[in-house]
Amino acid sequence: MNSDGMHSPAAQPSWNPRVNTDKAADRVPDRDAEWMLRVRDGDDACFALLLERHRNAVIHFLYRMVLNQAVAEELAQEVFLRVYRFRGKYEPTAKFTTWLFRIATHLGLNWIRDGRHEKRHESLDVETDGAGKQIEDRSRTIEQELVYRTRLREVRQAIEMLPAKQRAAVMLHKYEELGYADIASVLRCSESAVKSLLFRAYESLRTRLAHMA
Amino acid sequence: MGCSLEKSAAEELVIDYVAQTLDPAASLEFERHLAWCERCRALVAQQRAVWSMLEEWQPQPVPATFNERVARDLVGEVRAAWWQRLHWNWRPALTVAAACVVVLGAFLLKEDDHSSASASEDRSSARIEQRVEHALDDMDLLTTIGVDVSAGQTDSPHKI
Repeated sequence: MNSDGMHSPAAQPSWNPRVNTDKAADRVPDRDAEWMLRVRDGDDACFALLLERHRNAVIHFLYRMVLNQAVAEELAQEVFLRVYRFRGKYEPTAKFTTWLFRIATHLGLNWIRDGRHEKRHESLDVETDGAGKQIEDRSRTIEQELVYRTRLREVRQAIEMLPAKQRAAVMLHKYEELGYADIASVLRCSESAVKSLLFRAYESLRTRLAHMA
Repeated sequence: MGCSLEKSAAEELVIDYVAQTLDPAASLEFERHLAWCERCRALVAQQRAVWSMLEEWQPQPVPATFNERVARDLVGEVRAAWWQRLHWNWRPALTVAAACVVVLGAFLLKEDDHSSASASEDRSSARIEQRVEHALDDMDLLTTIGVDVSAGQTDSPHKI
């Protein structure tokens, strides 16, 4: 311990434990894996259960990745199609959600890489994407609503300016509540690489959104 | 007094603290640090602001038709898989059948040579043609049976 009650940098790893709050853990991964194994064995009813259980998370994740609802839904369809297509290759060595988000992230990153130019002007048009519509709150005054929408637009633009992999890391960390190890497994990189992605992403967001704080 | 933490360590602590993923003891210890460290306090405030702005960003509800769309995709997928399987099954079968026709033709030619040297060339070639035709008919029949068999498989997408 040093004078301010903190350990010295050399001792830091021992006092930085994380509580495992993965949302994936809350989703009872064993049951997911069990269902997926049954899908592998030909039980299509279990596929319907997995679809019902995870579709919201997958669509929302992809929406925040590609910033377009219609594209997010199309990609999510493809995610579940691939889950079904690859059912024979599924092995419960990792959490089902890690496997699922690996597929979703792969598709999302590919879409961003391939369709960047087409989607750019489209995604900046917040109103046509419906994001403004669904958060409309009648308890707000018109002025409050305008302020709210402006904030939302700025958040979306700040997110859009992040490199795709940083964006994926933030979405998995913030909204899917995955820990560093799980994000590393989804993105197929090391935990230290994930930390680096997150540090840089949050630093950019803090800078870009500082004027709204 | 400057912050005692390295930049990356401070970043990680701030992110984990705001995300509430630090265990209670580590959290308390960090709060003691925050009590005197202005830099980390400012970082926590900024991170909290970003965190709450991200929380405000809620996506649209998922359309009720989504499951149906996935089911429709799967029907197409299963059908395509069957066509593909059929194609793969019949490729070697057709090759074997073609080889059989050639062998059969050769055999008949040879048989004709042994049995009757006096038989006319026209008659024997007509017989070969007839047998080849029969063989091709058999192949057609096999194809039909193959299609029927595949239609009766249990890998039905309707279960989904």
